[in-house]
Amino acid sequence: MWESFGFEFINFYFIPGLVLGCIYALGAIGITLTFGILRFANFSHGEIMMTSSYLTWEFIMIFTSLGILAHPLIGAIPASICAILLALFVDRFFYKPFRNAPTIMIVIASFGMMLIIRSMVQVIWGPNQLTFVKGIAKPNAYIRDLTASFDFMLLIPNKHFSILIGTVLIMLLFNYLLSSTKIGKGMRAVSDNPDLAKVSGIDVENIIKATWIVGGFCAAAAGVFLAMDTQFIESTMGFRMLLPMFAAAILGGIGRPFGAVAGGLIIGLAEELSAYPWLGDGPVISPGYKSGVAFSIMVLMLIIKPSGLFKGKVF
Amino acid sequence: MIKKLIMSVLILFGFSTVTNADVKIGNPMARTGPIPELVKPMSAAVDLAVEHVNDQGGLFSDGQKYIAVKVDSACDPVAAVDAVTKLVNIEVVTGIVGPVCSGATIAQAESVSIPAGVVTLSVSASSPAISEMESNTDLVFRTAASDAYQGIALAELAMSKGLKEIAVSYANDDYNAAIAGVFTKAFTSMGGKITGNEAHEPNKASYRSEVNTLGAGSNNLALFAYYGSSGITIMRNAMETGAFENFIGADGMLAQEVIDQLGAENLGNVTFTTSASDSSTDAFKSWKKHADAANVPASDPFVPNSYDAAFLMALAIEKAGSADRSKIAAALREVANGPGEKIFPGEWKKAKEIIASGGSIDYVGAAGPQDFDKNGDVAGLFSKNTVVDGKWKSVVIK
Amino acid sequence: MDIILGYFLYGMSLLTVGGIYALLALGLNVQWGFAGLFNAGIAGFAAIGAYTYAILTTAESKFHYGGLELPLLVGDVMAMVLAGVIAGVIGLICIRLRADYLAIATIGIAEIIKLVLKNESDITNGPRGINKIPRTWEHFSEERFYSSFPLNVINSSDSWQMFFESIARWWWQPFFAGTIILIVLFTYVLLEKLRTSPWGRMMTAIRENEMAAAAAGKDVTRRRIEAFILGALIMGLAGAFLGQHLRLIEPTQTFDPSKMTFLVWVMLIAGGSGNNKGAILGAFLIWFIWSSSELVTNGMIEILASIFDSVDISILKNRAGFIRMLFIGLLLQIILQRFPKGILPEKRPAVSGKI
Repeated sequence: MWESFGFEFINFYFIPGLVLGCIYALGAIGITLTFGILRFANFSHGEIMMTSSYLTWEFIMIFTSLGILAHPLIGAIPASICAILLALFVDRFFYKPFRNAPTIMIVIASFGMMLIIRSMVQVIWGPNQLTFVKGIAKPNAYIRDLTASFDFMLLIPNKHFSILIGTVLIMLLFNYLLSSTKIGKGMRAVSDNPDLAKVSGIDVENIIKATWIVGGFCAAAAGVFLAMDTQFIESTMGFRMLLPMFAAAILGGIGRPFGAVAGGLIIGLAEELSAYPWLGDGPVISPGYKSGVAFSIMVLMLIIKPSGLFKGKVF
Repeated sequence: MIKKLIMSVLILFGFSTVTNADVKIGNPMARTGPIPELVKPMSAAVDLAVEHVNDQGGLFSDGQKYIAVKVDSACDPVAAVDAVTKLVNIEVVTGIVGPVCSGATIAQAESVSIPAGVVTLSVSASSPAISEMESNTDLVFRTAASDAYQGIALAELAMSKGLKEIAVSYANDDYNAAIAGVFTKAFTSMGGKITGNEAHEPNKASYRSEVNTLGAGSNNLALFAYYGSSGITIMRNAMETGAFENFIGADGMLAQEVIDQLGAENLGNVTFTTSASDSSTDAFKSWKKHADAANVPASDPFVPNSYDAAFLMALAIEKAGSADRSKIAAALREVANGPGEKIFPGEWKKAKEIIASGGSIDYVGAAGPQDFDKNGDVAGLFSKNTVVDGKWKSVVIK
Repeated sequence: MDIILGYFLYGMSLLTVGGIYALLALGLNVQWGFAGLFNAGIAGFAAIGAYTYAILTTAESKFHYGGLELPLLVGDVMAMVLAGVIAGVIGLICIRLRADYLAIATIGIAEIIKLVLKNESDITNGPRGINKIPRTWEHFSEERFYSSFPLNVINSSDSWQMFFESIARWWWQPFFAGTIILIVLFTYVLLEKLRTSPWGRMMTAIRENEMAAAAAGKDVTRRRIEAFILGALIMGLAGAFLGQHLRLIEPTQTFDPSKMTFLVWVMLIAGGSGNNKGAILGAFLIWFIWSSSELVTNGMIEILASIFDSVDISILKNRAGFIRMLFIGLLLQIILQRFPKGILPEKRPAVSGKI
C-alpha cells in the first residue's frame, strides 16, 4: 500500500508542497498583519523577503571571510534585524505620511517601494543569481532508515527538515506573542477595531511598529527558508512569491494570522499537487498553468467568500 | 520647474550626440531582464571587436572611431523598440548589432529598423521565425544558427547516447518553447519515444511535482530552460528525488553557474549542446588568442558570435566606404560570403588594407565561417558539453 | 538635417507611445478617477485588445491561428468589444469587492489571462508571440493591402509599389502618431462630456459616498460595472495600438505588470486622477521621462566617468537599467508625497441649477 501509492505521493508531492506552503505561510503572516492593522495591501513585502535573503548571503560571506563557517540560519539572525530595520525605515519615511490619506496612496507608495527596494538590491549585488548553498541536498539518512524500518520510508533532506521545524517554532512563538503579551493583545485590538483601540488608550503608533517588527521578522524567515530551499537567490524571487502569499492571506481571512498559515499551506499544497497524475500518467493541469492555481483559488475565494476561511475582515 | 527639467534633459541629449566624426553602431542587449548573466560576456566580446577596430587604424582612410552605443533591450519588445528608436533616430547609428532575444529582435526589426532601412545583425536570436520574417528587405542577419538546426543536433546526440525514450520539459518562453518543439519533432522522426512533454512556468520556487510526474515515464530528461530562471531548480529537484538520471539540454543551460551551484560531482550524466565553433580552425585559434588576452571567455554561448557580429559590421561599413545605412546590407554579404582573402578575428589592419586597395575579403569568424544564406542566416556548428574537472568541456559534433 | 529628422522621428515615436499610454491612463481614469475602482490588471485588458487585433488582422501564418485578414478598423473595434465583454464578466463577479481586494483580484485575473495566452499556443503561438501585425497607414505599403480594396480601386498594384518606393520610408510615422493623438483627443472630449453629464456626476457621488448614493435610489453596482467596462474598452483600444506599434506581441515581457500596469498608475497619479487632462499630461510626461531617462542615466554615468576618471564605472554601466528603475520609483514617491493630487488636480463639474 505504502509502496504502491503513498511513498511517491508523500515524498515527492506532499512534503515538497508542505515546505512551499510553510514559506508562503510565513510570508502571508506579514501581509495579513499589515492588511489587518494598517489596512493596506503591502506590495513591497516580497522585496523585504528577498532583501533579507541577500543580507543573509552577505553575512555568511562576512563570516566566511573571518574564518567562521556559518550555517544560513546563523547568518539569518543579523539579517532579520536588518530586515526589521528596513521595514521600519520604509514605514517611517514612505508609509507614515499617508496614515490619514486614502488607502490608494499608500498602496501605490508600497508599489513604488517594491521597485525601489528591488532596484537597490540589483544595483548593490547585481542582477545575477548568487549561490546560497552549493550542491544537492540528499535525504536525511537517519530519518530514511528509521522510517523505513516501520515500512513508512520518508525522504526528507535536512534543509526541508529545518524549514518545517523552523516554521513550527516561529508559529509557537507567534502564538505566544499574540495571546499572552500586552503588545500582541494590542495588535489584535487594533486589528479588530482601531478606533475603539485608540480610545481605550492603546498607542496605535507603537502597535504599528510592533506589526512591522513581527512582519519583517516573518518575511526574513520566509526569505531565508526560500533561499535554503532553492539554494540560490536572485532579485525577483520576492515578487514571484508575492501573489501566492496574497492568495494565502485572503484565503485565510485578512487579519487572521493563523488563517494565513492555513492559507499558505493550502496554496503550497495545491500548487505542488496540481502536477500530480491524478488521472492517467500526465499531470491533470499543464504545469505551464502552475501559478494559475494560486491565482484561481484567490479569485474564487474573493468572489465566493471575501472574508476567507477564518472569518477575516472585509473593508 | 518642468521647463528646467526639459532643458537639462536636452543638454544631456546633446552630450550623446556631439561626436560627429565617428561611426556609431547600436548595440542593444538584454542588460536587464531574465538573462543578464549570459549577456555580460557577450557585451564584452562586442567591446573587444570595437577595440580591435579602433586600435588598428579605425574606420576609413581618416581613421574614424568605431563606437558601439549600448542600450538595454531587456529581452522585452517594448524596451527593445524604444531603445532602437532612440538608436536609429537620435544616435543615428549605421547598423544594429544585437539584440539578444528573438522576440525583442523581431519586434525592433519589424517596428523600427526595417522601416528605417537599418541593418540588424543579431548575435544570438535563434528563433526559426526570424528566417521567415522579412519579405525581400534583406535587412536582418544573424551570426547565430537557427534553433531549427540545434534541435536536430540535440536529437541526434540523444540517439547516439542510446537514449531511446525521453521526457521533455521546457520553460514556457520564446526561446525554449521553440527549440523544444524542433527537438521533439526530430527525435520522434528518428524513432525515439517522447514519454512526456510538458511546459513549465519559469521562476517558480519548486518543480518537484513536475519532475516526478515526468520522471515516472522515463529516466532521461531533455531540459529546455534558462539555467537562471528554472533550469538549475529543475535539475536540483530531479536529482534530490532521483527522478531522472540522464540530462540533455541546449545552450540556455550551459553556464559555469550550473556547476558552481549543483556541484561537479552530481553532473556526470549531463550533456548540453551549444552553438559552437570548431576550435581546431585557424580562425578560432586567432579568436581564442585575442579573447584570452582580453579576459573574455572565448567559448561561452554566443560570445564568439557577438564578436563576429560587431567585427563584421565594421568590415561592412569599411567596405561600403561610408556610414550610409543603405549600403550596409550588400557590403555585409560581400565581406562575409567572399570570395576573397580570408580574414580572421582580430585582423582588422589586414582587412582594411585589402579593402583600401580595392581587393575583396571573406571574413571567417570565431563562431564559424559566417556565410549568410538568402534569409541572412548562417549554418551552425554545435558542440556537446560535459563536465570534466569542474569545468564544461566542449567537443564539436561533426 | 539628418539630426533634425532624427529628433522629429523620435518625437513621433514619443507621441505614439505617449498617446497609447494616454489612452490607457484615460481608461484607468474612468475606472479609478470617476468610479473609484482600483483596477490593477491593466496589462490584462491591453493584452486582450492587442491579441484580438493581432489575430483578426494578420495574414495567414503557420505559427498561430489566423489568416482572417479582416480590415484593420474591424480589428480595432473588436479589440475594444472583447476587452469590454471580458471586463463585463469580471465586473459582474468582482465589482462589489472594495479597493485593495479588487486590486488583488484584477492582478490575479490579468495573470491568468497572460497564462492562457502563453499556454494556448495553437491559437496565440504561446510565448513566441504573434508578429507581422499590420500597422495603420504603414500597412498600405504592404502588397497585401495595396493590391486589394480600397487602394486597388484608385490605382494598380504596380503603380502603388512605385509610389511607395518613391516616397520617404518614414512617411507613415507622422500619420500613425497623428491618428493616435486624434483618438486620444476624441476620447478626451467624449470623457469630458461624460464627466459633466448626469452619469458622470452620479459616478462622483457613488465614489464619494456610496451609501448616500444608494439611498438616493441610484443603482450603484450597475453604474460601477458600466464605468469598469467603459475603461476596459479604452484600454483594449490602447492594446490594439500597442500591438501595431510593436508589431510583435508576446505575453510575458510585453505585458509585464511592473512596466505596464504600474507605469500607467504612476502616470494617472502624477497627472491628477479624476482629471482627464491630467491623465493625458501625466502619460506624456512620464513616458518622456521614462524613455529619455535611459539617455540621461547613460549621460550621467559618462559625466561621472569624466569627472572621476580613476573610478571604474563599468559596474555602473552594466547596472544602468536598474538605476533608472530606482529613479522612477523615487520620482513616484516624491510626487505622491509632495503633489498627492497630481499636477492637475481634479475639478468637480460645476453644478448647474438648484442644489
